Amino acid sequence: MGTDLAPGDRVRTRATDPAGHTRLPRYARGAVGVLVERAGRHPLADDRARGVPAEPQPVWHVRFAAADLFGAGDHTVTVELWQEYLTRVEEDA
Amino acid sequence: MSRINDVGGMAGFPAVLEEPDEPPFHADWEAHVFALNGALIKRGVYNLDEFRDAQERLPVEQYLAASYYERWFAAITTLLREKGVATAAELHGH
Repeated sequence: MGTDLAPGDRVRTRATDPAGHTRLPRYARGAVGVLVERAGRHPLADDRARGVPAEPQPVWHVRFAAADLFGAGDHTVTVELWQEYLTRVEEDA
Repeated sequence: MSRINDVGGMAGFPAVLEEPDEPPFHADWEAHVFALNGALIKRGVYNLDEFRDAQERLPVEQYLAASYYERWFAAITTLLREKGVATAAELHGH
């Protein structure tokens, strides 16, 4: 994952769930949301929990429609997610 | 594979009960557990993510039956054993 993401980009979260600690909750897996803003740079928690050296990488506020996550609801849900969890969704894809 | 902590959006749990004027701790031992964890992380014995991971891999039945700070204590003792800081016998007071 490069560092070319920008606010407003549509992204899809990782759909798989590797063994061990992660900060990508199950309800937000494989979902499409919109980048709101950068939330600093931090070492990936998944790696730190395994004792693996981790360089800081961008963390994003990602906004989802609640209906996309839970099948109902008019509100949005914003989750802080590491860039490594995210893949940009191309506009015409 | 999801672990037992990852229950956001799952049906079947009762509503979260808010306690008016909730104190930081409900018993003195909870404050000791809180302080112990902070000291061990500051000393570099383990990091915050290892601590969260240790909670998440508690046996499911233990995780669900434990209170918040009981989970903390179980994770701390797990990590102290794994990091070689204390033996199981020492942790049980033998």
